[in-house]
Amino acid sequence: MAPVPGAILNGLGVGLVSAVGDVLVIKQSQPLPEWKKSTKTKEEELADLKSAIEFVSSHLDELGIKAGGTSAEIFDALKMLLEDDELFEVASAHIEDGWSAAAAIGKAVDEFSELLGGDPTFDERVADFQDLSKRVQARLAGIETALSIPEKGRIVLVGEDFSPADTAQFTDAVVGVITLKGGPTSHTAIICRSKSIAAVVSCPDAAGLETGERVLVDPVGDRVLVSDDESLATKAIAFVVINAEPLIPVRANIGSLEDAKAAHETRANGVGLFRTELLYLSAKTEPSLEQQVASYTEILKASPEGPIVVRTIDAGSDKPVPFLNMPEEENPSLGVRGYRLIAEHRSFIEGQLKALEQARLASGREVWVMAPMIATAEEAKAFADLARSIGSYKVGIMVETPSIALIVEQLKGVLDFISVGTNDLSQYLFAADRMNPSLGALLNHWQPALIKSLASIASGAKAAGISSGVCGESASDPAFAVVLAGLGIESVSVSRSQVTAVHNALSSLSLADAKQIAKAVLNETTAEAAKATALREIANR
Amino acid sequence: MSSIQGQVQVLDPIGLHARPASQIVKLVKESGLEITIGRPGQEFAKANSALRLMALKISSGEALTVEVETDDQALAEGIIAQIQEFLKAD
Repeated sequence: MAPVPGAILNGLGVGLVSAVGDVLVIKQSQPLPEWKKSTKTKEEELADLKSAIEFVSSHLDELGIKAGGTSAEIFDALKMLLEDDELFEVASAHIEDGWSAAAAIGKAVDEFSELLGGDPTFDERVADFQDLSKRVQARLAGIETALSIPEKGRIVLVGEDFSPADTAQFTDAVVGVITLKGGPTSHTAIICRSKSIAAVVSCPDAAGLETGERVLVDPVGDRVLVSDDESLATKAIAFVVINAEPLIPVRANIGSLEDAKAAHETRANGVGLFRTELLYLSAKTEPSLEQQVASYTEILKASPEGPIVVRTIDAGSDKPVPFLNMPEEENPSLGVRGYRLIAEHRSFIEGQLKALEQARLASGREVWVMAPMIATAEEAKAFADLARSIGSYKVGIMVETPSIALIVEQLKGVLDFISVGTNDLSQYLFAADRMNPSLGALLNHWQPALIKSLASIASGAKAAGISSGVCGESASDPAFAVVLAGLGIESVSVSRSQVTAVHNALSSLSLADAKQIAKAVLNETTAEAAKATALREIANR
Repeated sequence: MSSIQGQVQVLDPIGLHARPASQIVKLVKESGLEITIGRPGQEFAKANSALRLMALKISSGEALTVEVETDDQALAEGIIAQIQEFLKAD
């Protein structure tokens, strides 16, 4: 059913710019003809295939020149896939077997997609590759695939999702983009963010919009309105600082010496998450204790004033450390990763803790250590005992499995602190793969079940006398950081670029206000309502 | 013509993905030589196709053998060293 004037279509907003424009629905192009046996000579089919590939290839060149910058690199890579020698050989073999040029290229691309599939690294490439195959087949069938977008006017494009070849054809008239599918990390989202085009993705209700309708794309409000009133757009909040210090400390996330130095330039109070994997991911052999001590000391010394929370290695078969020989797994995110490596690699984790203790002494800094992927109180105790037998740091764990989130109170006397990794906690709580773009809506940090979990983690930690922090990406959202403080979380750690914004937000109100806001948010039953309530409550303080 | 072999290691954290594969293919085509790459003891892939190389699904940390069809030891070593460069982390 077509949405009526005033209707609100919910999705995921990209960026901060809103726009009013006229809908242009981009339909999936004409269906391609079925694959047939050839009625021409093999030489003719080969020549047809060659010229169709050349046509699409030169079209990619044009798109690359138009797009420029990093997008141009994408087109170069696509062109290389299309012009691959082996691909042409495989397609030629199908022509030898009597297939038409269109069938031959389709089959050849399918075969290679099969070979490349199943690996998350290549999934996006496989989709792009299939898109190329369709373009060649369309050329052979004489079907037009170019989008015809006007050069003038104010256009809001509506479509399933847009490929790199599509987005390169966006004209200056495109002021907004709405996609039915695709998440906040889709190609469309990335391009719209970089070009400051108002965009709402993952908006299935937009399927009812018709060409010519006037809509308001409102990314800050995570919605599209069937309206031409730009003043209805949700405003990004400007926080007015009233306190010198934020309600709870704002720390920075780092992964390298460069990060530590850059974080030092911000107002961050220490480091809330030092990801140590980067030091090992590119090492062929295990670095010696001396090398590790030297790296850690340098990074500790460079870090911003305040405690430095170091996470022990968080690697798994999808993020393998070469010298630890991790076997491939069916479901790496549910497999042997993080602290679970202790069974096979105890000496490595002990070595890391020893190096951190020596670096702590050498740098004179306050160091806290924590282990990732802890699922039981038993594991938490085993890690705490191990860490305390090696060094005099505060000891904690990451809370990212639902199992440990449920029993935070039982950690009383075992740990000094916990830190919630909301990215992984969402992934496990909602059984939604973080790498899968079509599940973006479930991984939205405003989901009521996540907020409820955070509330219970914060109160469990208080009851157990353990300090609680959040270091996931959710804490980098200033409005969400206010909610976290209101829920009783005692520190946040955010990406370096967000330190100032979160610091300002947390300095703009009292703890009593934050508690009221959190309470109102906890009553909501959808992510959209939770966010809207938080923004409204914050604006009313 | 004989062939010369050398070892390289994939250091890029994402493994042998599209970018290094295309860099290798470009180099191979420019050299005009027959070059194959594979895991030691397994079937090798002709390095004139990025798709073939990507289909090997080489992970970070794996060691590979590069075989160059030439009698020119210095040339082969240069090519192998260049391929190793492509396989380093960014």
